[in-house]
Amino acid sequence: MIRFTRRGLLATAALAAPSIVGAQGAALRLGVLTPLTGAGSFDGPRMLKAMQAVTNDINGAGGILGRKIELVVEDDETNPEAAVRAAHKLVDVDKVPVIMGTWASAVTTAVAPVCWESKTFLTTVSGADSITHLPHQGYLIRTQPNNQLQATKHAEFIIRHGSKRMFILAIQAPFAEPTRKYLTEMLTPHGVTVAGSLIYDKDKTSYRSEVDQALKAKPDLLYLNGYAPDVAVVLRDLYRAGYDGDRFCQSYALTAKALEELPKEVTQGVYTVQPSADVDSAAYAAAAKRLGIATPDSYEAQATDWISIVALTIAKAGDATGTAIRDSVRKITNSDGVKVYTAVDGLAALKQGKEIKYSGASGPCTFTDIGDISDCKFRYNRVENGAFKYLEVS
Amino acid sequence: MLTDIVQLVLNGIMAGAILAAPAIGFTAIYAVLRFPNFAVASHATIGAFAGYCANVWLGLPLLPSAVVAFLVAGIVGVTSDSLVLRPLRSAGLITTTIASVALTIALENLVRLGFGNALRNYDLPIMRDWRFGGIRVGPQQLEDLAISAAAVAALFTFLAFTRLGKAMRAVADNPTLAAIKGIDADRIARIVNFIAMGLAGLGGMLLGLDTSIDPLTGFRAILAIFAAAVVGGLGSIPGAVVGALTVGVAEELSQLVLPSDYRTVVGFIAILLVLSFRPRGILGARAY
Repeated sequence: MIRFTRRGLLATAALAAPSIVGAQGAALRLGVLTPLTGAGSFDGPRMLKAMQAVTNDINGAGGILGRKIELVVEDDETNPEAAVRAAHKLVDVDKVPVIMGTWASAVTTAVAPVCWESKTFLTTVSGADSITHLPHQGYLIRTQPNNQLQATKHAEFIIRHGSKRMFILAIQAPFAEPTRKYLTEMLTPHGVTVAGSLIYDKDKTSYRSEVDQALKAKPDLLYLNGYAPDVAVVLRDLYRAGYDGDRFCQSYALTAKALEELPKEVTQGVYTVQPSADVDSAAYAAAAKRLGIATPDSYEAQATDWISIVALTIAKAGDATGTAIRDSVRKITNSDGVKVYTAVDGLAALKQGKEIKYSGASGPCTFTDIGDISDCKFRYNRVENGAFKYLEVS
Repeated sequence: MLTDIVQLVLNGIMAGAILAAPAIGFTAIYAVLRFPNFAVASHATIGAFAGYCANVWLGLPLLPSAVVAFLVAGIVGVTSDSLVLRPLRSAGLITTTIASVALTIALENLVRLGFGNALRNYDLPIMRDWRFGGIRVGPQQLEDLAISAAAVAALFTFLAFTRLGKAMRAVADNPTLAAIKGIDADRIARIVNFIAMGLAGLGGMLLGLDTSIDPLTGFRAILAIFAAAVVGGLGSIPGAVVGALTVGVAEELSQLVLPSDYRTVVGFIAILLVLSFRPRGILGARAY
């Protein structure tokens, strides 16, 4: 049972709002706030689908606390303002105990205070370090590695790769500055010079002048720390400017779809990195089967884990409030209990009175005190002839 | 340093030339109908997608695709105006302006419904830039510049030498007098909408040629378009061209003193300066 409420989804709403049939109590409403439009619109709808799939499984197995789950879906538009309005609606009108799915760091930074003030739990994929350092009182977890973990792993790859002189072109976002700082700290002792960095405006139609400025530093590697719309433009402008050196970016900045659309010569040789889902885990295999996709990506895996962790925590706590989720979440994620890989299996085990440890599709899902995951693997690809070629997971 | 400045000015002129087409559309509607029509944003997007369909799906070359972009955006402009905005015009400026914002959101989402959010690219070969000394110029940029200049020149010819063009200017200058002389204001409104939204559509396509298109293509540019129209003098068509070039060059040159991420500020500062010191804009409010 899904309710879409944002603009652009009205047509779907008519089809997807059946009344609650067969649940014993009133449905348990959980909030979803993903980017269905804007720069995050490649990942947002897929994360939503992953959460819907787990919800269907849980409801099929009888729901939690005798109630069916109903996802209340809002679009954060990859825009902090729109996101805060939507979050207020979820909290004040729908009275959800949890909001799952914010993607952009700027959006999460804006939504988090709304959540902790209203004692609503928040789960996110945003990478900016500052997010878990907010005074969130435990009302926040993220399944995405933070900037420091990401930058450290990226730097290790860049050192292995043998680059000598790097320039950073970054979008104006909360992760831009910390990433630059960590990369510089990591790379400099290993003989890789960070020759300069530049933060650009996201809505520019051309980055010719920025590219000129970067190329003046004569880098052999450009670290492109942006989102898909702007990185596509930057890559074109780099090609036009005659740059033939290496380029490195996050996989969300150069998606499979973008690869199809961009001319092959523009993307040739670009290295991409993404937090890797735990591809060998049973939870990952279950997610793949549930979604009918051979290889779900990290975002689908993380979304699978949020809804699973939240459902299990509510069942464990016996109470569906934000505070109960906050107080009990680590009893599911950081426990020594019997390992479970899906929400349905976990619910069954809890019914039998067992202690459980949820191990997720995105990774072990063990959280630190401030809500960060403690470890994660990364997957590296290189674009060859308009397609991703797998390099390594490390 | 000198090379840098020349390069930035050149980049600014190229960017400004592309902005000029939608800025003219915005200002022309203001001149004749007396309200800022923010639906220019979605019409730029619609033009970009119409040009994309012509270019990628039908395999048409650049110029015919640009004509398709103009025509489709123009037709949508006339239709959406007569369905949505025209009935509201009697309710006043604010109502119509707000309705135009709503219209642009609705149209943008229609595009999203049909095409999705993914980035799309025109099927044009990408070329390395030409270099002259330290200065580089893209062949695509020159083509964009030529198309935009040709469209603007055609519009000026139309306004200066045809009966309809003169009628448009008459309505813009003095609607009451024009009505007394028997000029049909509704007909003029339709023609202005067709031309203005057509130019917006063409501008949207030119924006996309150099980059990628998605449903937000027009929306991203609307602040710069608005700034160009205000700086040049809201309601003045030559002013829109001057304004667009000014904003384009100012945005690029600002990089000498401001970090690149402050670019948006330039549009706001331009509007602020003009409204503070020369509220009628550089060329004043005469339509032509």
